[in-house]
Amino acid sequence: MKKSGLSMLPVILWLCLFLVVPMLIVVGISFMGRDELGNVVLDFNLDAYALFFDPLYLGIYWDTIVLSVLTTALCLLLSYPLAYYIANAGPRMQTWGLVLITVPFWINFLIRTYAWVLLLRTQGIVNELLLGIGLINEPLQMLYTKGAVLLGMVYTFIPFMVLPIYVALEQMDKKLLEAASDLGATRWRSFWHITLPQTKSGIMTGSVLVYVSTTGMFVVTDILGGAKSAMISNIIQSQFLGARNWPFGSALSVIFVITSLILIALFNRAMTSRYQKVREVRS
Amino acid sequence: MNNKKWAGLVLAGLMVMGLLSGCGSSKETLNIYSWADNFDEEVLEQFEQEFDVKINYDVFANNEDLLAKIKAGGGGYDLIQPSDYMVATMIKQDLLAPLDMNNIPNFANVSEAYKDPSYDPGNKYSIVYTSGVTGIAYNKKYVKDEIDSWEDLWNPEYKGKVILLDDNREVIGMALKKAGHSNSSTDEAEVTAAVEDLKNLLPSVLAFDTDNIKQKMIQEEGWIATVWSGDASYIAQDNPDVAYVVPKEGGTIWSDNYAIPKDSKHKELAEKFINFMLDPEVSAKNYESIGYSDPNTKATEFHSEEYRNDKMINLSEDELSRTEWLGDVGDKLQLYDRFWTELKSGRE
Amino acid sequence: MKTKSHPLLGIHSVVMMIFIYVPILFIVAYSFNSSRLAADWSGFTFDWYVSLFDNRHVMEALANSLTVAIVSTVISTVLGTLAALAMRKIGRRLKSGMGGLLYLPIIIPDIIMGLSLLVLFNQLNMPLGKMTIIIAHITFSLSYVYVVVSTRLSGMGGQLEEAAQDLGASSWQTFRHVTLPQIAPGIISGALIAFTLSLDDFMVSFFVSGPNSTTLPIYIYGQVKRGISPEINALCTILILVTVTLIFLAQFALNRGKGQKKQSVLPF
Repeated sequence: MKKSGLSMLPVILWLCLFLVVPMLIVVGISFMGRDELGNVVLDFNLDAYALFFDPLYLGIYWDTIVLSVLTTALCLLLSYPLAYYIANAGPRMQTWGLVLITVPFWINFLIRTYAWVLLLRTQGIVNELLLGIGLINEPLQMLYTKGAVLLGMVYTFIPFMVLPIYVALEQMDKKLLEAASDLGATRWRSFWHITLPQTKSGIMTGSVLVYVSTTGMFVVTDILGGAKSAMISNIIQSQFLGARNWPFGSALSVIFVITSLILIALFNRAMTSRYQKVREVRS
Repeated sequence: MNNKKWAGLVLAGLMVMGLLSGCGSSKETLNIYSWADNFDEEVLEQFEQEFDVKINYDVFANNEDLLAKIKAGGGGYDLIQPSDYMVATMIKQDLLAPLDMNNIPNFANVSEAYKDPSYDPGNKYSIVYTSGVTGIAYNKKYVKDEIDSWEDLWNPEYKGKVILLDDNREVIGMALKKAGHSNSSTDEAEVTAAVEDLKNLLPSVLAFDTDNIKQKMIQEEGWIATVWSGDASYIAQDNPDVAYVVPKEGGTIWSDNYAIPKDSKHKELAEKFINFMLDPEVSAKNYESIGYSDPNTKATEFHSEEYRNDKMINLSEDELSRTEWLGDVGDKLQLYDRFWTELKSGRE
Repeated sequence: MKTKSHPLLGIHSVVMMIFIYVPILFIVAYSFNSSRLAADWSGFTFDWYVSLFDNRHVMEALANSLTVAIVSTVISTVLGTLAALAMRKIGRRLKSGMGGLLYLPIIIPDIIMGLSLLVLFNQLNMPLGKMTIIIAHITFSLSYVYVVVSTRLSGMGGQLEEAAQDLGASSWQTFRHVTLPQIAPGIISGALIAFTLSLDDFMVSFFVSGPNSTTLPIYIYGQVKRGISPEINALCTILILVTVTLIFLAQFALNRGKGQKKQSVLPF
């Protein structure tokens, strides 16, 4: 089995060349200065990092985290039952379920998001429908609100949650469930004590993918939110483009990557300890 | 699957990659880097045939993307189309090659109004492609008052129906103009006052948008907006209730240009292309098709009646006299960016 | 065995499918709208489908996107799966380090990845083009594959593999007949995510693309300034139809070939 360890080698080499080296460049730039034209100049300093602690940028980062956590939670709530249904369907239904969930996301992201604009605008179909039933008397302003942003985010990242949870559910040992039901456990109890712990790796993976992707997304806030709020990735983007402050953009990215890694590790630990507790109870 | 099959698969993959990187034709190529759909297709094909060359046409979505890419060395392009302020920036950063006017005799056809612009004195590096003016577009169905000033955007009657361009220089520049200053002020007090003024406008703002402002005005989601003249023409065609005005305080004029990056390998061909595009008949055909304003004075006679009569494509002398180019603000760009972030995030 | 799903689950799934597909129906409908701007409905037309096939820029962009997506998905799936398998065999210290490294491409903001790779490719004197886009896509995709395959592996005990080895199977045989079938759903799901990401990536592709390598997302983002042409809607409609039909045909052929035994195209 020693050979298997070696199979890591191509991946390590690949990541060193195309990930670690470019990242070191970014870390380097984050400690440098800039001239009036926006060119990076060799001048070691921590200004870029100090700037992050400005309440303006801290506040924006906080907003970003709140929105991402909300998106992740909603995605999880919506996707788990769907993944569960697919995983418990017949093999053909499983194929179709996965395909039907993935294929829409092969349509360009911008096109999909603009479709939501058409749906949600004041003269859009949703408003017409609600007016038609008589639920509202006046069209609702749904677009360019925080709610529209949240909806767009959830919609965009659903497959990232469904697929990992499906992968975990599909492999679950279903005999345990049978045994539990033989012993008189209710559905809810066996779900809570058997299914959920056994699929925690799927939940974990899905949540991380959705959380991280949401924090990195900025186009949804522009299109569905009317560009009225800024996410940390909007700021990073504008530092590299409009504002031409590469050191600050790099510093923001370094901080962003490190905090994300810490959050993932914490989340991972929390999930693991819960799982172990359940295991102890079971044995 | 056995070992050999896996190996075969990987090998096949590598071969495909090899093929992809190695293919290409022997014809000379002109690599254009511009906005999407910025030329009439038939005109491009005509150039390919007349000069027996191949055109590669790749696209970018905004000036900042273009700059970041060219600056980081994303080369290989022979002809790019930066906007006015970006030409100035690229000249300062030494990213452009000087044009050889001997290859572009048709430069004589360009309207005097666009020659020797402040962002590129003497047209050393750029020639105008098209231009427009940022003014106010409003829907007469909802906006009953006469609109002639930026002040009108602040009218509380239009609360929640105002759309602003999603661009810090345009919006802060607009507020500066309203107060009677230059749109590129580097005076901190002036800029701060303009931003304070904009904070009062924020509750009225439905959205910041540059790209889809057309749809928003056509669908009557917004009643009044800061809009480029060319887009206003586009909107008015689909929604005749929408009118356009260059406010009395004046507006920002912008242009897209032809320029050649320093590391271009087909500089002469790029110059021939510019010359070709400035031919009166070719340019009439081109601008007729894309619907932008044509700076070519000799082309007027080849344009259609409809095009010549469009007031938003062909702005009057009077309107043009009230306009100002966005100038480079140097390191004050940081100030603009910070204020912009404050405005958009609603934080301080 | 069969676990009967609760009826509420079925209803939820149908509602979710509607949620996912309503915007898609809109995209399809607007591919038949005669107005160029996706504003109001102004009449039925096939024009966009006709002009789509005449538009060589869209067609080139589509070809570029598909090539990049297919090649990068194949390579990143192999690399990501190898990484996930190897992670089981290495020591704890190395493991946590490698884990962080493999998460990086998912976390790094797109613009950073694009710009830093562009700087690197310049230093290495690599001409920008499809090749560089493929390399960039592999770099972020392999992480997603790794993460999903690991999810599968973590729920899998080592007992079966040990049993196979005790019975004298070579490590290749064990991998081929025991491990691979067990992790197949993870690999397929990972590949699906990788393909989706590659097909949709704009920011990274934008920076590492060169002349003649415009992908579909780059083209579409470039069109935004003038309004995205309904030709793109027509293209999306065709893409969906073709994909679903191909899968349907494959499923059908497979079932015919195997006689009564119901089989799935995807190996699970």
